[in-house]
Amino acid sequence: MDFSFLLLALGQIISPQTIAYALAALGLAVQFGFTGLLNFGQAGFMAIGGYAFAITTLHLGFPFWLAVLATLVATTVMALVLGIPTLRLRADYLAIVTIAAAEIVRYVVKTPDLIPLTGGSDGLNGAAVTFDALNPIPPGSYGFGPLRYDENDLWIILVGWIFVILVALLVRQLMKSPWGRVIKGIREDEDAVRSLGKNVFSYKMQSLILGGALGGLATIINIIPTSLQPDNYGTQTTFFLLTIILLGGATTVFGPLVGAIVFWIVLSLADGFLSLAVQYHWLPITTIQQGPVRFIIVGVALMLIVIFRPSGLIGKKREAFFA
Amino acid sequence: MRHDTTRRRSGPAALLTVIATAAFALILAFAGAAPANAASSPSPSPSSSAAQSIQVWIRKASDRSDVPGVKVTVSQGSFSQTVTSGDDGKALVPVPAAGTYKVDLDASSVPEGAGTVPTGLNPRQVVVSAGNQGVPAYYILVAPGGGATPTPGASGGASSGAGGGGSGADSGASLFDLIAPRIVTGLIFGLLLALASIGVSLIYGTTGLNNFAHGELVTFGALMGYVFSAVLGLPGVVAIIAATVLGGVFGYVQDLGLWRPLRRRGVALVPLMIVSIGLSLALRYLFQFIFGADQLVLPADNRAAFILGPVRLRSTDIISAVICIVLLLLVAFVLLRTRIGKATRAVSDNRSLAAASGIDVERVIRTVWVGAGSLAGLAGVLIGYYQSLRWDTGASILLLIFAAVTLGGFGTAFGALVGSLVIGVITDVSTVFIPNNLKYVAALVVLIAILLVRPQGILGKASRIG
Repeated sequence: MDFSFLLLALGQIISPQTIAYALAALGLAVQFGFTGLLNFGQAGFMAIGGYAFAITTLHLGFPFWLAVLATLVATTVMALVLGIPTLRLRADYLAIVTIAAAEIVRYVVKTPDLIPLTGGSDGLNGAAVTFDALNPIPPGSYGFGPLRYDENDLWIILVGWIFVILVALLVRQLMKSPWGRVIKGIREDEDAVRSLGKNVFSYKMQSLILGGALGGLATIINIIPTSLQPDNYGTQTTFFLLTIILLGGATTVFGPLVGAIVFWIVLSLADGFLSLAVQYHWLPITTIQQGPVRFIIVGVALMLIVIFRPSGLIGKKREAFFA
Repeated sequence: MRHDTTRRRSGPAALLTVIATAAFALILAFAGAAPANAASSPSPSPSSSAAQSIQVWIRKASDRSDVPGVKVTVSQGSFSQTVTSGDDGKALVPVPAAGTYKVDLDASSVPEGAGTVPTGLNPRQVVVSAGNQGVPAYYILVAPGGGATPTPGASGGASSGAGGGGSGADSGASLFDLIAPRIVTGLIFGLLLALASIGVSLIYGTTGLNNFAHGELVTFGALMGYVFSAVLGLPGVVAIIAATVLGGVFGYVQDLGLWRPLRRRGVALVPLMIVSIGLSLALRYLFQFIFGADQLVLPADNRAAFILGPVRLRSTDIISAVICIVLLLLVAFVLLRTRIGKATRAVSDNRSLAAASGIDVERVIRTVWVGAGSLAGLAGVLIGYYQSLRWDTGASILLLIFAAVTLGGFGTAFGALVGSLVIGVITDVSTVFIPNNLKYVAALVVLIAILLVRPQGILGKASRIG
């Protein structure tokens, strides 16, 4: 019996995918957990950011830093476009508009007419060149057991984690600052903040832009070791992120990080156990039926967390009544 | 989340106008064309006595013009029949039994310059269920060097729409010929959406919940229809009734097992919304777990039963439209004239006041869940007939439902109806101007645009949006 999946699951702790989801979840936590904005289109911000990076790198030959700047510009524009009509309205309008916008982005980049630009359903490949060119790590194979990384994998993992931790520290300081107090005030009682003379709309917009930018940057980390696939940024991605922040604690800075790690370890373990169960016929299911199971797990987990532990793993109970 | 309790509902007049307009548009089309239908019998089939048939249709990708004179062989085991496409590029092949047939286009018979069939799409396997008429085996010939993308009708999913109703236009067709059929199919699609949207709107009105799992109620109905008609082989009427009844049961069970306990615990609205997202995810993939990821086809007669100029409708389209109109009138009657309907509107207007005046709010909410479930189930099975169905059929139209509800005004049942018709027509008509796969985008863009101008929706009251 092959138990190597246990180690592979452990590898999820540092995988670029976990880093990307941690970062995107942190962005969503800024919007949802701290500000109370129902952004259900974080996947759309991720897609826009990813495409901005990949297209400027592959078609325009931008250097790495300029492509990152393009990502930030793209997500900011998206935040403005979505925020201006909806941030003055009731919370669920933002939810519906953002989820709709995310789907618009996905449908548009998948259009066959745009294949020369976006690659259609196949997405874009090879956006990592400018990043890998900066790699100072000597070529080789690193790691142990089934966890092997080449120099480029190691490079993105290192840079990714350092970046995520820096961003988390930055967000923590932000939330302790006067700016953060206003943001949290908006979550608790928007009118009270307004009565203090604060421009609530502007603060919400800043929060939306910050969270969206983190989503866009997350995609860069996600696509560098693999490729940009439009269907990886469907609504289910936003719901995964929602599960992650609620799992870790939506109103904390390090909750999304912990949540992302736990989330991917659990999914990886579940996949591993299911593969074994299918292989040895412990369960009456086929290999094809194995695919949907992880989504069923996420769905049920999301319901259970919200019902029984809305403050998450490391959240404070006092702040649990989000939005 | 703050909540404005002063919800107002538009008057009965608005509702009746809307339903009447929709009904009128359809009835006018039917009535006007009845003689035409009799005069020019649609797609004559040599032996229409066979219970199943495959519709072959060959067109050019460049201008969608029909290609005549192409030989196509349909075979399965000892059965084999070769047909030649007629002037309309079509050929109907009756087949003796349900099963998987191989459809092979003879490339050498394609006229010079018409193009070639993209590799991988010929020969192809076509699955015919018992009683299926006109199962599509459409070929789009790509000109050499042309960059057009093949879109075989059989795998077009939602895009295949009402049996080629929209795409049957000839190359020299006028704009009217292009738009008219899409308005009709759009209205039918809008009526189907309306069945589902009204449930969303009523649940929102009475409980404040934005139910993200409503798409799964729709899929549930579609799948139940599939189980009863395609798996158990029962007639379509039984399948439709079963889907409606079981949809109601599903709604009741959901409320009893999940939403009522959560209301009792006093869970706030945003967490409730997230619970519905989790439920949606779990149910959707449970459906995939059970029914697989492939397209499922309900047995139906897919030949055009009714032709008026550029408008071609199948009998299922007409029956669906009639069922929708009858049901929507029934819902309107219940809401406006019966005790429980008035109680529902009272709870939507002001829950506390309704409770204080002796209305059993929990009973109203239970009724709403049962009603919403059965309407969604019915919508699901009818959508299954309208296009095809899959484990994510409901989820794929969930945003259109939300768009319709938002467009009409949240919590107003009649707004949901108006919004649905608008969204249905926009979705289908937009395909004249933009690529087919972007048709949902058109609806969503309109949603965002409307929110900019009139955030309370068409029939909503400005006071509600906070």
